[in-house]
Amino acid sequence: MKKKKEKKEIVIKVENISKAFEIPHERNDTIRSVFVNIFKRKIFEKFKALDNISFEVKKGEFFGIIGRNGSGKSTLLKVLAGIYQQDAGTVQINGRISPFLELGIGFNPELSGRDNIYLNATVLGLTKKQIDEKFDSIVRFSELERFIDQKLKNYSSGMAVRLAFSVSIHANRDILLMDEVLAVGDSNFQSKCLSEFSRYRELGKTVILVTHSVEIVQRYCNKAMLLRNGKIVKIGKATEVADKYVFENMSDEERRLSKEMHKKEKGVKKTKEIGRKKAVEIKGIKFLDSYGVEKKVFKTGDDMSIRVYFKKYKDVPVLNFGLGIYSQEDFYFCGFSTIRDKVNTKDFVDKGYYQVDIKDIPFAENVFYLKLNIAGNDLGNYYDYVGRTKETFRVFVNKKNPGNVNLLYNWDKLKINR
Amino acid sequence: MRMEKSHENYKELIWMLVKTDFKLRYQGSFLGYIWAILSPLLTFAVLNFVFSSVFARGNGAEYYPLQLLIGIMTFTFFSDGTRAGLGSLVAKSRLVTKIYVPRWVLIFASTMNTGMLFLMNLIVLVIFFIFYRFLPSLEAILFFVLLVVLMYVVILGFSFLTAAFYVRFRDLSMIWAVIVRALFYATPIIYPIQVMPEYIQKVILLSPIGFIVHFSKESLINNHFPEIWQFMLFVVASFAFLFIGIFIHKKTIKKIAENI
Repeated sequence: MKKKKEKKEIVIKVENISKAFEIPHERNDTIRSVFVNIFKRKIFEKFKALDNISFEVKKGEFFGIIGRNGSGKSTLLKVLAGIYQQDAGTVQINGRISPFLELGIGFNPELSGRDNIYLNATVLGLTKKQIDEKFDSIVRFSELERFIDQKLKNYSSGMAVRLAFSVSIHANRDILLMDEVLAVGDSNFQSKCLSEFSRYRELGKTVILVTHSVEIVQRYCNKAMLLRNGKIVKIGKATEVADKYVFENMSDEERRLSKEMHKKEKGVKKTKEIGRKKAVEIKGIKFLDSYGVEKKVFKTGDDMSIRVYFKKYKDVPVLNFGLGIYSQEDFYFCGFSTIRDKVNTKDFVDKGYYQVDIKDIPFAENVFYLKLNIAGNDLGNYYDYVGRTKETFRVFVNKKNPGNVNLLYNWDKLKINR
Repeated sequence: MRMEKSHENYKELIWMLVKTDFKLRYQGSFLGYIWAILSPLLTFAVLNFVFSSVFARGNGAEYYPLQLLIGIMTFTFFSDGTRAGLGSLVAKSRLVTKIYVPRWVLIFASTMNTGMLFLMNLIVLVIFFIFYRFLPSLEAILFFVLLVVLMYVVILGFSFLTAAFYVRFRDLSMIWAVIVRALFYATPIIYPIQVMPEYIQKVILLSPIGFIVHFSKESLINNHFPEIWQFMLFVVASFAFLFIGIFIHKKTIKKIAENI
């Protein structure tokens, strides 16, 4: 292997591009309103989809663009592809770009697989001669030899995607733009696609991938950019950008949940006032991280504490506490009870709350609510009971395995990156 | 800004789009391609049945069925071509929003497609000429070819002018359909131009479609041609129209992907 380190060539240079969309404030949907508004100056709301974006992509990079819906990532890709014209700034592209953002453009269900290959490949810029040469290879990669002369409408959607992908990787461009294509196809084919992308890098080609999958960015991209509201939040090493993205999502999530909770609390209070005073009443819940900071979103593997506040109105001799964790689809994950665990609850009674500390949250990604109860010696007779708490917490996972829990595991002696 | 072209060869792309559209047009119908010929023929049969007795003799309408057929076919080219051109960008919206293909390619391809249909219709026309044992003069045939080319220039001009507007104002297709229907009667297709008063004849010849239909019939059947200055004026006007169309197209096409 040659170890000569050359200064890498810049293939895409984007400088200060901005793009705004005009959203009309009032739409003329009826003939009447057209006539009424014909002399009025139309008012547009400017929506800045891209705001002063600059970056460079070097040859051979696998560049990920990540961001939430509406962050401007697809708009950016369309500007790179030449579909949109930017309002300001320059885009410089050295090398032949594959100008497609979706698989199977031009595909027609009424045509056979064979005809569709020719059609799609021509749209992607191949000549008839090139397609003739590559035809067998395209069919082989798609694994659709038996169906190639059937009409596309008889294909399953997965098959159509395979065919489309196969054509597009044979388009053989220096720079590949891809928008969220990996969400389709079975997992086997997906990994095949992604390893094909990785092969591209070895061939010195550049791949730009728009996605919101953290996992894909971490695994395949070497550089990435995080967009938020049309601005670059972070650009750099893929793993770091992905971490930042997870973190951003968490704080977004916190805000959303607390807002929701606030709304619900107001409703709850009213109904409670009507009921008669209980001997002991559950007052509130807090979810805390290992530093004792209140949070509503946790990562798998974090430590967390659940603290339940209560108030005693009458003197009761003994108190016992219970707590169950349920996922949002009412799946019972686990439950704790001071009676079963034979815990001395005197301490809790003094403090006015009880608390469960959980180490290494083993749950997979989900939203959880709690079932709470406070009882005396007799479990059947609750002082207070909450069947479904309004407060919920959410768990995020970096690496997704299917299922409800995320266990620490190893393949025999091989270490897994978690 | 962009260094390289996205396609080596627009010719192949256009040809592929034309071929596919053509293939798909009659997909699933029992008679398939035959419909391309059959539908203007049926129109012809009906109109011929109704009007041949009215215009059969006198008024310079010799070979009325042939004249009618020439009129119908050239007019069909015009109406199909303009309609296809008008809707070309919307019909292929995925090629506008999901990939960069030069937009003129799409406009070109969809109008070319109707051109192909017209060529197929010409075969029928030839068969009719043989059936009536009528042979136009060589210069008449060459002149007709010239007129067809000019017709395509006019269609292209119209398409460039309107395709981008149509994306935002979908009413255009309805409006245009009505205008085309009116034009059918305002054009000397079912009647010879001579039945009209002199000043209306002049107005008809001012419209490109009226000019082309009239002189197609005149040249092929009566071996009668327009004055040189008249023809040159028409050529200049057609190309001017095309260039205006392209100019407007360039102005209106910029934000097309956002509006479609």
